[in-house]
Amino acid sequence: MKGTVGKAFVVVAAILSLFVAASAGIAAETVKVGVLLPLTGSQAKFGEIEKRSYEMAAEEINAKGGVNGRKIELLFEDDTGKPDVGRSGVEKLIAREKVPVITGGYSSSVTAAAAPVAQQFKVPFVICTGSADDITEKGYDYIFRINPPASEYPNSVKSFLQGVAKDVKTAALLYENSAFGQSSSKSFEEDAKGLGLKILVKEGYQAGAIDFKPILTKVKAANPDMIYMVSYVMDASLLMRQSKELRINPKLFVGGGAGFTLPEFAKSAGDAADGVYSATLWVETLPFPGAREYFDKFKKKYGSETEYHGAEAYAAMYVVADALKRAKSITPKDVRDALAKTDMKTAFGPVKFVSYDKKTQQNKLDTYMVQWQKGVLEAVWPKSVATKTYIYPTPPWDKRK
Amino acid sequence: MDVFLQTLVAGILKGGLYALIGIGMTLIMGVMGIINLAHGQLMMLAMYVTFVLNTMGVDPYIALFVAMPLLFLLGVTIQKFLLNPLIKADTILPENQVLMTVGIGMVLTEIVRFIFSSDYKYITTSYSNQTFYLGNISFSSALTIAFGIAIAFTVAMFFFLLKTDLGRSIRATAQDKDAATLMGVNTGRITVITFGLGAGLVAAAGCLLAPVYYIFPDLGGPFTAKAFIITILGGLGSTVGAIFGGVTLGLAESMGATYFGMEYEDIIGLTIFVLVLLFLPGGFKRLTKI
Repeated sequence: MKGTVGKAFVVVAAILSLFVAASAGIAAETVKVGVLLPLTGSQAKFGEIEKRSYEMAAEEINAKGGVNGRKIELLFEDDTGKPDVGRSGVEKLIAREKVPVITGGYSSSVTAAAAPVAQQFKVPFVICTGSADDITEKGYDYIFRINPPASEYPNSVKSFLQGVAKDVKTAALLYENSAFGQSSSKSFEEDAKGLGLKILVKEGYQAGAIDFKPILTKVKAANPDMIYMVSYVMDASLLMRQSKELRINPKLFVGGGAGFTLPEFAKSAGDAADGVYSATLWVETLPFPGAREYFDKFKKKYGSETEYHGAEAYAAMYVVADALKRAKSITPKDVRDALAKTDMKTAFGPVKFVSYDKKTQQNKLDTYMVQWQKGVLEAVWPKSVATKTYIYPTPPWDKRK
Repeated sequence: MDVFLQTLVAGILKGGLYALIGIGMTLIMGVMGIINLAHGQLMMLAMYVTFVLNTMGVDPYIALFVAMPLLFLLGVTIQKFLLNPLIKADTILPENQVLMTVGIGMVLTEIVRFIFSSDYKYITTSYSNQTFYLGNISFSSALTIAFGIAIAFTVAMFFFLLKTDLGRSIRATAQDKDAATLMGVNTGRITVITFGLGAGLVAAAGCLLAPVYYIFPDLGGPFTAKAFIITILGGLGSTVGAIFGGVTLGLAESMGATYFGMEYEDIIGLTIFVLVLLFLPGGFKRLTKI
């Protein structure tokens, strides 16, 4: 009698433990997503904005049931802004963590170095920011890009010059001597040719310079109608401050993306930032579902402001989650196939990976013109999304109040 | 002509600041025979001190009088408790002190990142964006003031080394440590004071740079490299050499930026560095003999 009870107890216990093990197994099995970002080093500022955006998006997705009941687990790899570190970071994510999909990729140089690794191991890589054109021009079938390539950043500038600033005939081009800067400046040169703009001065500079006066002096001597700059935030701020010091008065100051849209730019440059135009990929006032909500939520949660880089990362997380949900199985191959069929609306705009020109699996998006007016970044072009009318031409420094 | 003059002015103003950055390193180099590879990081720390004081409403030029003593104390502590113990261990070569400074630099950077995060900080003062004109040439007010203060410090340093007892002891230690010890100079104390002075001087440079530049934890590295170039240019351990080295580097960068292209700024500095090593191995010190 005692024996039977004992046996029955053992059986029940065994069954119970099976259940527990099984349910624990389900709960513990997360979907790992690798994220490559610069978390330390000089680009860490943007890396942080993007990391927080990824985390925020993942939390939202997990709160709504995750990927078919499984929670998303983000594995961040710090690329420190260096291509070789980025490469080994991706290798680590693939070989050791066995992630089915990788996303992130901030600087162009790092992304360009990391993409071939993902392609070689056949693990899909959804790029959110790295924008050098050639990354999606190599026919890689495991590389997807959400943000437009660097050459398309100035599209809105082009239409602004055609639509409003028709009397701009000459330009000066200043760019950071990096993969992104060179790529952007080259495409601006081509656009300028198409628009009949004459480029009087073209100067690269090294990021982190203290004194831009030598090149600005040259620009002043050339007296162009427009100055086009491709710079990160603090170089951008110094360029504008020193332009003001030298009283350079073109009709237009235009920043080609990157640093000119950040709140830090306006705060550190002070009144020297006023009137500066910038091409941007995103502002929170755009009519995309969740754009405003993302911006407000980010500000509330982290107490700091976000900008287009963050929106890219936030959208990338949703795109990845969407593909994981639709994939037949959570393997790199199936996730890749699901990604290729992506067609969704995100806070960053519609996402669909298409092939055009030389590019493959590239998302095609509009770009916008914004202008700093009294310390506020206003969308001014195209008119359909404008929050304020543009101020053109920019008033000369000594006539400003 | 305007372009040339403007470039010249920009180069000299920047050079004054470079001299102040270089002079601290050259002092340490002369006395201890080691390159302090945490030099730029010490400057970064001083800039954060300036930043914190500025948020409390203290002007960067007044913050200088807080940052300098603070960094002096830090320098003294580093030399006394982190670098000197390495000299006492027999098997350890002087290179190990250099490695130690690299480590100190990293620790300082990461501590600052931990406290302030990687965000860019900046100090905006009423004179940050101010300029005055002489003819057609613009002078940035902040950089001109910085130049003046930098020159004042450098000259003061020069006379301190030349005329005071402590200065003489420092020079004696730099020239021949053993002989100085035999003459009754407490060389251990001298090294500690020298490191403190070096840190204090670079702190001054940081305070002067803060209103015109920006502040982030990784700012140290490039400035350590610049200080190193200046030290080699000037001749190891030479104060006057450091002034020449700083101004030369500033001028070379500006002239290079105007006439070759600003993207070559660093290449120009390093090219001069190599040329000096090849053709004037003692640096400018060889020409001045001080």
